[in-house]
Amino acid sequence: MNLLAEVTATDSAPFFIKGRVVEGDDTVHRSRDLGVDFATPALDLDALVGPRTQLPPLLNVPLAEIIDFLAEAGQKLLAPGNDHVEAAIERMAKVSLQPLSVIRFMVTNAAEYLDSKVLREVVEQNFPNPRALDEWVPHTDHQGRRSYIRAYAPRLIHVLPGNAPAQGIRSIAQSALVKAVNVFKMASADPFSTVAFLRTMAEVDPGHAVVRSMSAVYWRGGDEAVERVLFRPQYFDKLVAWGGGDAIQNVMKYIGPGFQLVSFDPKTSISMVGREVFASDEALADAARRNALDVAMAGQEACVCSRFTFLEATPELADRYCEVLAREIRVDRSGEGTPRPLEMDLKEQIDVLRLMDEDYAVFGASDGRGVAIRSEEPVDFHPLRKTSNVVCVPSLDAAMKYVNVATQTVGVYPYHRMPELRDRLASGGAQRVVRLGEAGPSAIGNPHDAMYPLHRFVHWMANEDGSAGDD
Amino acid sequence: MGAIADELLSHMPDRTGYDVPHAEVRARQVAAINERFHEQADRIRIVRQRADEAGIAEIRSLADVVPLLLPHTAYKSYPESFLFDEKWDKLTRWLNTVSAHPTGNTDLAGISGIDEWIDRLQAAGHYLSCSSGTTGKSAMLISSEADIAHGQQDLVNAVLWGADVQANASRRFFSTAPVAKVPKNTMLGLGLFEAFARKDVAPFVSPAPAMTVGSITAALVMRRKIADGTATPGEIAAFDAEGAARAKGMADAVDAVAEAIIAARDDELFLMGMWAGHYNVAKAVRDRGYSAKDFNPANALFCSGGLKRAQVPDDYRQFVYETFNVAPERTFLSYGMQEIQSNMPQCPNGRYHVPAWLVCLPLNENGDVLLDADRGEITARAAFFDLSIDGRWGGVISGDCIRIDNRPCACGNRSPSIADTITRYADFKGDDKIGCAGTVDAYIRGMS
Repeated sequence: MNLLAEVTATDSAPFFIKGRVVEGDDTVHRSRDLGVDFATPALDLDALVGPRTQLPPLLNVPLAEIIDFLAEAGQKLLAPGNDHVEAAIERMAKVSLQPLSVIRFMVTNAAEYLDSKVLREVVEQNFPNPRALDEWVPHTDHQGRRSYIRAYAPRLIHVLPGNAPAQGIRSIAQSALVKAVNVFKMASADPFSTVAFLRTMAEVDPGHAVVRSMSAVYWRGGDEAVERVLFRPQYFDKLVAWGGGDAIQNVMKYIGPGFQLVSFDPKTSISMVGREVFASDEALADAARRNALDVAMAGQEACVCSRFTFLEATPELADRYCEVLAREIRVDRSGEGTPRPLEMDLKEQIDVLRLMDEDYAVFGASDGRGVAIRSEEPVDFHPLRKTSNVVCVPSLDAAMKYVNVATQTVGVYPYHRMPELRDRLASGGAQRVVRLGEAGPSAIGNPHDAMYPLHRFVHWMANEDGSAGDD
Repeated sequence: MGAIADELLSHMPDRTGYDVPHAEVRARQVAAINERFHEQADRIRIVRQRADEAGIAEIRSLADVVPLLLPHTAYKSYPESFLFDEKWDKLTRWLNTVSAHPTGNTDLAGISGIDEWIDRLQAAGHYLSCSSGTTGKSAMLISSEADIAHGQQDLVNAVLWGADVQANASRRFFSTAPVAKVPKNTMLGLGLFEAFARKDVAPFVSPAPAMTVGSITAALVMRRKIADGTATPGEIAAFDAEGAARAKGMADAVDAVAEAIIAARDDELFLMGMWAGHYNVAKAVRDRGYSAKDFNPANALFCSGGLKRAQVPDDYRQFVYETFNVAPERTFLSYGMQEIQSNMPQCPNGRYHVPAWLVCLPLNENGDVLLDADRGEITARAAFFDLSIDGRWGGVISGDCIRIDNRPCACGNRSPSIADTITRYADFKGDDKIGCAGTVDAYIRGMS
């Protein structure tokens, strides 16, 4: 299939600057994944930065009002016939690796995050005392020194990921909750959705302080002419960045005193399946189905997707599991239809392992619908496109050496084994343990990447005011 | 080899292969690839697998070849643990999936390391070359004795076609930088030496630390240990110190080469290497106060490959020519790659010529559609079928982005030719890649 042929004209990706939509086709860019072109207006750097003598627009807007506004915007996003969102979803499908149905699901899912109860819980989980967002909260230490503490509105510049089409929506909400002044640098794999959400918000109230606190623009990641100018502590307190490798290397050089990095690192998620899975055919079927859900969600593009399953089994037993797992992975649960062919390199890696049948077994076809690869050591390529590498281990304990600082979510079966594993998983670097099959949904306001992000975003400020008994 | 392939290869010794028009030779190339397919499909398992999957039993057009081209990464598809854990039996079996000659005849008893494994393969008639990437996996390319013999002859003839020099053993021979010590490099160097080097003076041996596959692999093993978290701070410190010593050894070697070349400045020189090496030595020569006026005007320069991301000034080529007094007609530049063995020498018009026994298949960026370069120059992903290769499959898709034209070149030669604008797709993709999913590779510092 020639994906380029599907796009007849270059799509426009407008910018959104402090409540204003900026249209224009001054610069043509190319999306990183599918090589599709899109056009943006010229970037006006001066428009993105305001002087520090100006207080952040949201500073004295009560949190409750912000939550009400976000919830209203969420309703509008979910309402049928939202032209901005519909157009953005269609455009995203052309530049994203995700199929249309998955993008639609992710956008809907993210819009559901804009719910009053959810947003309040996010804040309550991140801050021991959420009042610090609204006011200077008094505190007296045990020696009698008096302070007022404020979770002060920060100035943030966000480098958004390209593989999670709805992260923009969450980032907007989280930034609004901490009352930040924001610039969102969109990804070439999704230069549309963030602006579409912001336009929808502007329709709720074009003059709202939330809207005036947000700008979303695109420049090519690593473009020195932009990043060298913009990434300065005089303009921003923190850089909120997703990803690793080149993307982080590019921004690392700008990090320095007064300009901190809050990074959401690139992650690999895994599954751990105990020998109990072979107790009955039902148990095996259940675990394999759950495992497949964790592998195949979002086309295995996201960090929470399982890529390796460590299974307490001999190769012979593991093959029984893999056969069912491959079948379950290959079920088209997202309505994707015919997948695009596997990337050449990935297909070659998998097909060679098929030939190495003394050490490996491959279940499923190399057609993009999914495969399970049984081995006794993890494969040395990154499993993508619904590929699960099932690694035989004598015990789950023996799998701990494969847990490292890049490990994010670990799905465990049977569930009662989670407590015995979690201390060692944490020690190895992992960040989240869940029941197998539940990597996708996450509890509201939980830590992400071993931190409470909102707590990291704010500019913690203390006003000390003498001691008890002073005038 | 098949009769039609042999006929095309017969252009090599008389150097007429760069003047054969594409239209004239295309049908024979298709027939020759079909011959190779029937000879090799049952011998090379990975080709058999692809042919079965694509349902190809006969090659009737160049388009039929496309599904049978192996990506260059196929030669990196061995499980890395086989190498790191020194499982020579398994690695040898992997090699068998890409080799046209069974590798089972290799003596694997008591092997002490990868360099010895390579020696044992050579003893069994398999010449293995490993690419020298330090951050990724090494490509392992297997060649047969016939390949080595062809490679030596092809390279000498390409030099004779591409540069105004004679194979009369009249020159002093210098490599400006050490090359990885693998059998293929050694044998090709030997071929050039035989043809062009004076035998009455001992060849110059660079004092640079030897770049063996073992030393390259050690770096890869270390990288893995750092990623795993199993490398101790002491091991990393020792590794860094070794790296610093190696870097100093390389820098010192540049001085030694420069001084040896200066001492031989009255002789006719044959300077071998890649641009970065040539430039570094040229700079050291200039720093010592020598330049074109001090060198023999008959000097020749051999350069294979591009810059490989080396940091040099924009006018590096001019600087090198002017340092060593090399006339443009005595420079040999060629385009080639590890995965194929035939050379594409540069003509006076600055284009690389594709000989009749090397079939260039210009593809779209995805590498699955054959493009047409008959009506003018086009941009394409470079893929080739090298009819001269005996030890493995000749069809490969590269990572290179080329501009190719099947029409005759302005230099007068009529073969397809490639412009001197070759870039790698990997260099302009990926810089904008941001996502939350990734591997522990992103957590390794100081290994690139």
